[in-house]
Amino acid sequence: MNVITAEVRKSFKILLAYPIEIIFWIISPLLWTVPLIFQGKAIIGGLRSTAFGNIAGTEEFIPYVLIGAIVSTYMASSVWSMGFALRDETYYGTLEHILSAPVKPVYILLGKALFNSMLSTAYVIIQLLICILIFGLQVTFYKIFPILFFLILLIAGLYGIGFAAAGLTLLVKEAHGLLHLFEYVLFLFSPIRYPVEINPITRTISIFIPLTYALIALRGLLLNIKFDFWKNSLILLGIDLIIIPLGLYIFHWVEMHTKLKGTLSEY
Amino acid sequence: MANNIILKDLVKVFKKHHSEVRAVDGVSVEINESELFGLLGPNGAGKTTLIKCISTLLIPDGGTAIVGGFDVLKEPVGARKKIGVLTGGERALYWKLSAIDNLKYFAALYGVPKKKVRQRIDYLLELMSLTDRANENVEKFSSGMKQKLAIARALIHDPPILLIDEPTLGLDPYFARFIRQFIKEELSEKYKKTILLTTHYMDEADELCDRVAFMNRGRIEALDTPVALKKGMPREQILELKCLGELDIEHFVQMKEAASLNLSKKDGFIFIRMSTENPEMLLSRLVETIRDKAKILSVNVTSPTLEDVFVYLTGASLKDAQNEEFE
Amino acid sequence: METLKILHYLRAINAENIKEWKIELRYKPDFIRQFFEPFVYLFPYFLYGFALLGARNSEHLKSITGISDMFAYTFVGYLIMGFLNTACWAMGASLRKEQWYGTLETIFIAPVPRWVYVAGMALHSTLHQGLIMLIEAIVVVIFFKIFFHIDGIFYSLALLLLMISALYGLGILVAGLTIGLKQWWVISDALSTLINIVTPIAYPLAILPVFLQKISLLLPTTYGVLGIRHFLIGENLSVSIPAIFLRLVLMLVLWIGFGLVIFLIMDRYGRKRGVLSSY
Repeated sequence: MNVITAEVRKSFKILLAYPIEIIFWIISPLLWTVPLIFQGKAIIGGLRSTAFGNIAGTEEFIPYVLIGAIVSTYMASSVWSMGFALRDETYYGTLEHILSAPVKPVYILLGKALFNSMLSTAYVIIQLLICILIFGLQVTFYKIFPILFFLILLIAGLYGIGFAAAGLTLLVKEAHGLLHLFEYVLFLFSPIRYPVEINPITRTISIFIPLTYALIALRGLLLNIKFDFWKNSLILLGIDLIIIPLGLYIFHWVEMHTKLKGTLSEY
Repeated sequence: MANNIILKDLVKVFKKHHSEVRAVDGVSVEINESELFGLLGPNGAGKTTLIKCISTLLIPDGGTAIVGGFDVLKEPVGARKKIGVLTGGERALYWKLSAIDNLKYFAALYGVPKKKVRQRIDYLLELMSLTDRANENVEKFSSGMKQKLAIARALIHDPPILLIDEPTLGLDPYFARFIRQFIKEELSEKYKKTILLTTHYMDEADELCDRVAFMNRGRIEALDTPVALKKGMPREQILELKCLGELDIEHFVQMKEAASLNLSKKDGFIFIRMSTENPEMLLSRLVETIRDKAKILSVNVTSPTLEDVFVYLTGASLKDAQNEEFE
Repeated sequence: METLKILHYLRAINAENIKEWKIELRYKPDFIRQFFEPFVYLFPYFLYGFALLGARNSEHLKSITGISDMFAYTFVGYLIMGFLNTACWAMGASLRKEQWYGTLETIFIAPVPRWVYVAGMALHSTLHQGLIMLIEAIVVVIFFKIFFHIDGIFYSLALLLLMISALYGLGILVAGLTIGLKQWWVISDALSTLINIVTPIAYPLAILPVFLQKISLLLPTTYGVLGIRHFLIGENLSVSIPAIFLRLVLMLVLWIGFGLVIFLIMDRYGRKRGVLSSY
């Protein structure tokens, strides 16, 4: 527990040294929805679309894309922040010292995951507030707990992917490409920007991505779209129960492999 | 134009929070053509800052620097044509490129005539014994090989003036010796390059340089040939003791027979070096002082080294001097 | 003598270009990935638009622009904007890359003026993005059956060249910022995001609020996109063709001039403060 809190404290102090970045990460996902809003207005001439409603469950596309943008904050955090969590230590030359400490490396990783998820949640809350104030998004009090419930399940699943990413970037020295691949799959095949039902390929692949179920649930709760609460939560939980151990196992395997090969400290 | 370096009242100041550090503080030096000039000083003395000012990487805050007849402020491109710069450390090469690709790139940048590029590269790789590894990526080279390639890069355009900043830093003794020999025999004696060499290894400066300047806290404290500097010590002999125990500078403060004191620790032993006219008298005083605190393992009387001169002049040893980290 | 100097500089520019290609090709997976990336960000535009319309063609879009094919409309805008990212990121971050390698000081000691590096970076970026753009265009044209007006290609290329040149002013500016500012990327990202928003990539200018339209008309990307879309797929124009060309030329001069000024100021700042080598 000390290790985890030490890692969280250290990461927080580093973060505070870059206040501009904090503002950037809060605003950026929302800014990227603006072109989509303008595109929507250009092609349908209004703020509601019947065709969209038939697929997405809501005719209002603006709140739809806003929620996708907010949730994508977690995606960026899990893939990039976690993916580079240990890679950065390799660059600084501190990885071997960290892994020589008398703690299991997984606790260090958990510390980083905890910090990143707390930070992302803080960003998401602020983004939600902005959406409520500026875009008129409505959140009733009794919905906060189910929202939190799905967010926790989502975070767990994404960070399972993050653990795998952290491990694989130690193995594959050119890490950017690998992390981009994770990002592309999540971005393209989950309903962040558009309803995946629109295309059979996106619909099929999206089944395996935790973001899909979280977004269905969150949009359902925030936009009053009908969805199966228990089905989505059970599937998400099931994915988490597979992804988290798998991610940790991949990390552990890579750690052992790099120690055997002597490539741990290579950048 | 003469291939010399003339520095006049050169100043470089760095502002740090609410204070300022004069990393180069009014340095005036003339380095003659074909001279191998050493700049000796501890970490943070301002040696690297001085090199960067001369090579146009830093803009001085005062004074002038003329390199090969070009003022570095008014004609920086002209000055850069005349110089080749070699720094220590493993970076400053493209790891993902081969040795040849690195040299080809820099040859183009430095304006080596196209017809001469291949010939020049082959020659330099041969000189550095890197011909067999010419097509390998630099990331696979050892530190010594990287430094050799860095030398080849610094020489690619056959510059008449070389700025060499701590060239043997971090190298094993074999490569360090190779670099020193190369600088002395090839660059200085054979090719008559004008060389400004910075180092904090006193034996390196002693071995290689025609003249040496001591730099400390941004200033030149002394400048002469190594022989003259050593002769300039008021006490001509150095008494050196190797001891085992716990000793501190305070134990020797009262010893007026010594003009300078250098106390260092290495491998668990304590080395005391003191300059004196009367080593026998000093020895008896030392034995009295040390007797209850340490065991004397060996005693030696030698002539002063450059380090002794430096300690005498500045009151600090090259190893232990604490300067602001603005190198 | 002057001729020799110019030849030297041209060689140095090309050497910079070749070096960057060689290093890029050492990272083959990443190199190949760059050809897929545009599609990852383009397809959501298509799929989103399709979800909104339930079809590919939009009568509302046609009423404003004369174009009903939402795919073609979006694609041309998106294709051109690849050069914005090139300016902000590839070109802008090139000096940062040299800092990371540890080679920045080494190349800054070489006897060439700074604009030579900048030109080398620009050359590489143009060729690199041009290749991606070509492949992207071929794939989308074949799979989505988008047809361009062949007689518009020459004018489109001319506009593209002018727009790219002006954008490289932005790239030079960002490159300068990387010398002295640790969080240069925030400025770069903010600029590229804002330009992406106000440039009429997937929507006509008329959709933007009036104040954003005014900002948009100050950007080379706007004229590039509008003009090229007009020549390639026949978009109606609210600005005349001569005006588009003239404004792009003016912007080229202003943006490159401004970018160079900032670059030289930051270079001087870096050499005054001694931060050239710090990553």
